[in-house]
Amino acid sequence: MNGLGDLVIETRALTKRYGDSIVAVDHLDLGVRRGEVYGFLGPNGAGKTTTLRMLLGLVRPTSGRVAVLGAPPGSPQGLARVGAMVEAPAFYPYLSGRDNLRVLARYAGVGEDRVEAVLAQVSLSDRAADRSATYSLGMKQRLGVAAALLKDPELLILDEPTNGLDPAGMADMRELIRSLGEGRRTVVLSSHLMGEVEQVTDRVGVIRDGALVAEGTVEELRGRAGLRVRAEPRAEAARLIRALPDVDEVTSIDGLLDVTVDSSRAPTINRLLVEAGIAVSELYAQKASLEHVFLELTKSEGEPS
Amino acid sequence: MTREVSAELLVLRKRAATWILLGIWTLLGVFFAYVVPYALDAEDSPGGVEQFFPESLPGTLLAGFPFFGGVFALMLGVFALGSEYGWGTLKTLFIQRPGRTRVLAAKLAALAIVLVPFVLALFVAGAVTSLVIAQIEGAPVNWPSAWLLVRSIAAGWLILAVWAALGVLLGVLTRGTSLAIGVGILYALVIEGLLSAFADSVTVLEPLTNVFLRANGYSIATALGASSRNIEANGPGSFSGPFVDSPQALAVLAALIAAFIALSALLLRRRDVA
Repeated sequence: MNGLGDLVIETRALTKRYGDSIVAVDHLDLGVRRGEVYGFLGPNGAGKTTTLRMLLGLVRPTSGRVAVLGAPPGSPQGLARVGAMVEAPAFYPYLSGRDNLRVLARYAGVGEDRVEAVLAQVSLSDRAADRSATYSLGMKQRLGVAAALLKDPELLILDEPTNGLDPAGMADMRELIRSLGEGRRTVVLSSHLMGEVEQVTDRVGVIRDGALVAEGTVEELRGRAGLRVRAEPRAEAARLIRALPDVDEVTSIDGLLDVTVDSSRAPTINRLLVEAGIAVSELYAQKASLEHVFLELTKSEGEPS
Repeated sequence: MTREVSAELLVLRKRAATWILLGIWTLLGVFFAYVVPYALDAEDSPGGVEQFFPESLPGTLLAGFPFFGGVFALMLGVFALGSEYGWGTLKTLFIQRPGRTRVLAAKLAALAIVLVPFVLALFVAGAVTSLVIAQIEGAPVNWPSAWLLVRSIAAGWLILAVWAALGVLLGVLTRGTSLAIGVGILYALVIEGLLSAFADSVTVLEPLTNVFLRANGYSIATALGASSRNIEANGPGSFSGPFVDSPQALAVLAALIAAFIALSALLLRRRDVA
């Protein structure tokens, strides 16, 4: 399958089964566009890492098709333009960070001058001569990102890159990912940390039980803005608001009215209620958080809302 | 390919296990080929005191390669691939550029290169020890011909290479080191050892033992001067025949290397990497 148009990753009905009973990835259709930072979200065990492994040729799909940069996954021509860190970064424990990168640079066919450049990029130059076994989890994460950057890749795949980082390290990593995603480089960021994804991604795909359950921009996934209104008498206020033509739904939550309507309608609703003699004590725009959307999308069948 | 091989040489060169194996192999090789038999009963040993003199260097040393040396080479081979599974570094290598077969080829090439100092180190240590013994005995110092030395070093390398290739296969097969080494030693001691011991009396086993590393390794060693009586008294690595002729032994060992590599490549290419 050749990559279509500007899609750098394209999967069609991608499936991975282990035995007869375990379906890790189930008919996944994924399209990642050139130049975007794509957030790949899902709870633990949803199939994110298995999908990434299939994209990199580490795991053979049971069925379906996949193209990465127009090449079959795991092919040398494709891998030459892909940098990746999948799951926990793995290095030779007795080699220094620098020597680990030298080994990988030789395998990747890039000049060893890249080693110092990527070490500086992830702020690891000071500890580069130490054995990687002595690194903290956060330093190993940064070394993993450095390894992924060695080829100055067109496509960067990062699986949970902020694992083990302290808050400052996470902020640095987010900044790094944001900067890496500028220009024509495509970044696929797999994570279950909503804040991380919300802040750096252009589009998001949500996977549950191996299947894609939603895809779009963060704004699209969060949906239209709603309004929260505190007014008395509440029942009369709800009746009046519900009568407006562009209001989809009015529900009562914790003494507030949750109104599904474009937030630009706030002045109209305020005027309507005040003119009807209803006391309005609060009125503000409210959007669902990505976390709320994620939890809704990924909760198990039959689980209460 | 040069870059990949140099990467693997860096990995092997900086690994303590490589140097530890080299040191132990050299020390124990000299210890069991020279020090122990000479100290115990040099005159009454099957090869006589002459086996410890420089001119007997190839045969005396090569007698230790097919079993004792084989176990060291097996471990080296297991470490080269099996450790990669334990550390998770195989996936790190596979997502670079070259492709799985090329990664395996680089590892095998580096392993083949590293086996050279293993053979040379033992020959140098053996030469020094034989020289000392000759001095002690007041015997004239006659060295074997350069051609015999070269052939012996090459034969030693080939015997170690087969075992290292078996180690690579076991490392890939078991995706680790411990089980691979256990299975390898079990194979060397129990399968080859016991079946070879019965091969003399149970003729139906002869075709099977003829493809064993032990039979072919010792056949080459005897062709280059190793004493069959010494090999027969070689403890757990003993072998009493039947020996095969050198061309057959060389062909079988080469075929075994090819088979072990092909199987390793097949497994490495087909299986998922976690």
